[in-house]
Amino acid sequence: MNEKVIVANKGLIRADFNFWVGRYLDKFYDNLENKKIVGNTCPKCGDVFVPPRKICGKCNEVIPLEENWVDLPETGILINYTITPYKVNDRAFRKVKKPQTIGMIQIDGSNTALIYRLLNLEPDNIKLGMKLKVEWEENTKGDPSDIRGFMKI
Amino acid sequence: MEKVGIVGYNQVKLYSDANYGRYEMIFEAVRGALDSAGLKKKDITTVVSATNDYYDGRTISNALTVEPGGGYLADESKVEMDGAHAVLYGLMRILSGNHKLAVVWGGSMASSFPYHTARLYETDPIWERPLAYVNDITSAGFQMRAYMEKFGVSAEDIAKIAVKNRKNAAKNQLALVEAQNPNLTVKDVLESEIYADPVTELMVAQPCDGVAALLLAPEKQALKITDNPVWVIGVGYNQETYYLGERDLSSSKSMELASKMAFNAAGVKNPLSEIDVAELFEAYAHEELILSEAIGFTEKGKGASLSSEIGGDMPINPSGGALGGNPPCATGLIRIIEAVKQLRGEANGYQVKGAEKAIASGQIGLCAQNNILYVLEGGN
Ligand SMILES: [Zn+2]
Repeated sequence: MNEKVIVANKGLIRADFNFWVGRYLDKFYDNLENKKIVGNTCPKCGDVFVPPRKICGKCNEVIPLEENWVDLPETGILINYTITPYKVNDRAFRKVKKPQTIGMIQIDGSNTALIYRLLNLEPDNIKLGMKLKVEWEENTKGDPSDIRGFMKI
Repeated sequence: MEKVGIVGYNQVKLYSDANYGRYEMIFEAVRGALDSAGLKKKDITTVVSATNDYYDGRTISNALTVEPGGGYLADESKVEMDGAHAVLYGLMRILSGNHKLAVVWGGSMASSFPYHTARLYETDPIWERPLAYVNDITSAGFQMRAYMEKFGVSAEDIAKIAVKNRKNAAKNQLALVEAQNPNLTVKDVLESEIYADPVTELMVAQPCDGVAALLLAPEKQALKITDNPVWVIGVGYNQETYYLGERDLSSSKSMELASKMAFNAAGVKNPLSEIDVAELFEAYAHEELILSEAIGFTEKGKGASLSSEIGGDMPINPSGGALGGNPPCATGLIRIIEAVKQLRGEANGYQVKGAEKAIASGQIGLCAQNNILYVLEGGN
């Protein structure tokens, strides 16, 4: 039980993957860059998706690219949250001193929830159902980081 | 459904850092299963394994497990899911009528890869992974909170499950040493460090090193191999949507539908009275309650009222369950093996008296997105 541990080819291979954003999310990101949230609606059941989807899984229905877009407000309600000292990224995971609060926020007028940090909220002040508002990054880039998190209204 | 027999099994001892090669571990599991049934390599006609390329650090990772896994010059393939899903494919091969003996093995060594990072690769690469707020840790917190809020369940009720399973694990010699604790209290669990609030560290099934193997044979062949086969009389599987923000995390729709399918195949009308013991893959303490409710043991939100200890109304996870050790890709397969032990009277130290019918489940994905359930019956 005293075998040597070999850490093979650490640092030699780095596999970087590329993913096409796709036309639906591309439009969503363009709007984020302008500090706007948009979603799209299933023509059959009326569910509003944020971020937008090409297909409603429930109805197995394609949402046409040029139709069914909805402008949504930057407000929503908190439907779930967790507080964790663990931070994970695609290289490592570590424990940090100040835990992060991650919430599920249902944007008003949508049927899905976004998962982001809750900013400036002490655990005692968090209540499910509370109203929250997007805190935008000052210099937006058209990617998920344009939303810095959500704040209490 | 036509009966398929489980004719042998083996699981290696679980370690947080096994410190011996994975091929030895695979060989130990598979060869041990063959030995348990008095069979040889030449008797194997098909092999299905469950591993994961990310967890193994190689692509097509079964390429190197051919010899230890019994797949040398045999019909062989791999499932990148839980070991319990590999059993499904083994079952299908036996039911195709083309095979006399299927080896199903699964497992990995969580000590040799960054578990949470590897699991981050499950998340949506475009929308979620760049910020990584959605990961296996935060999703556990969301799931437990959703369950508590929806039904008014207390953290104490959930901690009790962790206590029960870790106490049960203390009776199971193959469980992870770190998970075994005969003296654990609810207070200890609640006061253990925060994992993802409200989940605490002791409510988490710790990823570890381990491999398990199971042998399947058609009815006639099974009776030739052993006097003590266990029959697979039903199986059901189901999957819900991926996006957490779209799911009701307080219950498990996929397990509800999987168990309906399995009970229907097995002719089980009232699971609570007809099933004697359950081994469920609970990645966290709260999942045992969510899953047992979805199976229909109690109403939704009432799982904690069920007496689920060994000797209780419905013993759940007498082996300690996944909380007794969670080797990725083996955990669900181990649940099946533990159910088999119960039905053969081989659960030394944690035997449920007179167990004749059992269920065992596997799962995969964030918040148990995909569930599979087996109904098993003892041969004697
Ligand atoms: Zn729809």
